[in-house]
Amino acid sequence: MLQIKNLMHKTIISLAGIAAIAFSAFVVAGEKPSFAPSVPHPTNGTTECVEPEDEMKKNHMEYLLHQRDATVHEGVRTKTYSLKECINCHVPENTEIRFGDDKHFCSSCHNYAGVSIDCFQCHMDRPMGKNPHKKTAQVVLPVQSKLADASTTGASNE
Amino acid sequence: MNKTETVNISRRSFVEKSATAAAALTIAPGIFLNQVHAKPAAEAVTDAKRWGILVDTAKCASGCTSCVTACHEENGIASHGRPLTDQQWIRKVKLKDKQTNHVVSLPVMCQHCEKPPCVDVCPTGASFKRDDGIVLVDRHICIGCRYCMMACPYKARSFAHEAVDNVVDYQPRGKGTVESCTMCVHRVDEDGTPACVEACTEAEHGAMIFGDLKDPESAISKELVKHGGTQLRADLGLNTGVRYRGI
Repeated sequence: MLQIKNLMHKTIISLAGIAAIAFSAFVVAGEKPSFAPSVPHPTNGTTECVEPEDEMKKNHMEYLLHQRDATVHEGVRTKTYSLKECINCHVPENTEIRFGDDKHFCSSCHNYAGVSIDCFQCHMDRPMGKNPHKKTAQVVLPVQSKLADASTTGASNE
Repeated sequence: MNKTETVNISRRSFVEKSATAAAALTIAPGIFLNQVHAKPAAEAVTDAKRWGILVDTAKCASGCTSCVTACHEENGIASHGRPLTDQQWIRKVKLKDKQTNHVVSLPVMCQHCEKPPCVDVCPTGASFKRDDGIVLVDRHICIGCRYCMMACPYKARSFAHEAVDNVVDYQPRGKGTVESCTMCVHRVDEDGTPACVEACTEAEHGAMIFGDLKDPESAISKELVKHGGTQLRADLGLNTGVRYRGI
């Protein structure tokens, strides 16, 4: 009985020792656990987000939703919590990376968490800089008109 | 005697000061105007203003499509090569009087009604009127049912049938929602002028005036008071924000 107790005691001590060695090796190597997604940080020199990082990780969607309604319905155009400014800061200009790539700021985490968002079906997923579409946009030609067609007046498109 | 001199001196200094003040106003009138009218970004729009556009059809050149081009460039609207379903926020319309053959050319876009039928019929509240009179679609809650398109007497709204690949960051647009003229709300919120009005002025036609209908001192109000302006389908009693002259 005493032998068994001794054996158990030794096993526990040796297991703890192995765990301690493994953990210290992990800390020395300075590696993050491999399962966490790597979220790209801004490359424009900004070091602080508009709110603490933990708060943003948890509640960024609340800030965005509130700002969205204020902007669309009330014309509030502050930049702090606007999606446009998130993109301007977190996604480098002239990047080839698009939403959906693991390297894109938003998808880096959303792909990992399996949370689908449809923001970028309409919004730009990269900074616009100066309007690049001014010269390339093909203009839609006017098509047809159903405007007043009274007996004395004929309406048609030019 | 002394008293008179004192008066004269102060009068001279008053004149000098007035001249300086007048010079300052003349040198930088724009700066003073901006300080007075600019809406702070954090402030919500109010019903103290109502934005409108006045189109003078006598000045609108037949065949000129500057306003259409400018609008579609500004808002990133590109053709998919299918004219029947391509989006169109503004179009040029030709009205011909069959009796006299008199032809009038005019741009037609969202008329930004005070009582918009598109808002009445919207089942989700996506179609709405801002406090300053601009009628918009909140695409976040638009389900693409297109009731508003049928309700609009001006055929002002379009449906995005296809994915939009050349969106601009100030005007997000996407497949499956309804869209129309926003009176360039992103510009208006920053004290700007809609792209169509700007293009018309740049093309030296000057057929369009943009301004606050509630401000009796604005150019558009003065013009309307002096020469009047008609609404398209005034019989519907929608009190449109876009007015026309010469039709």
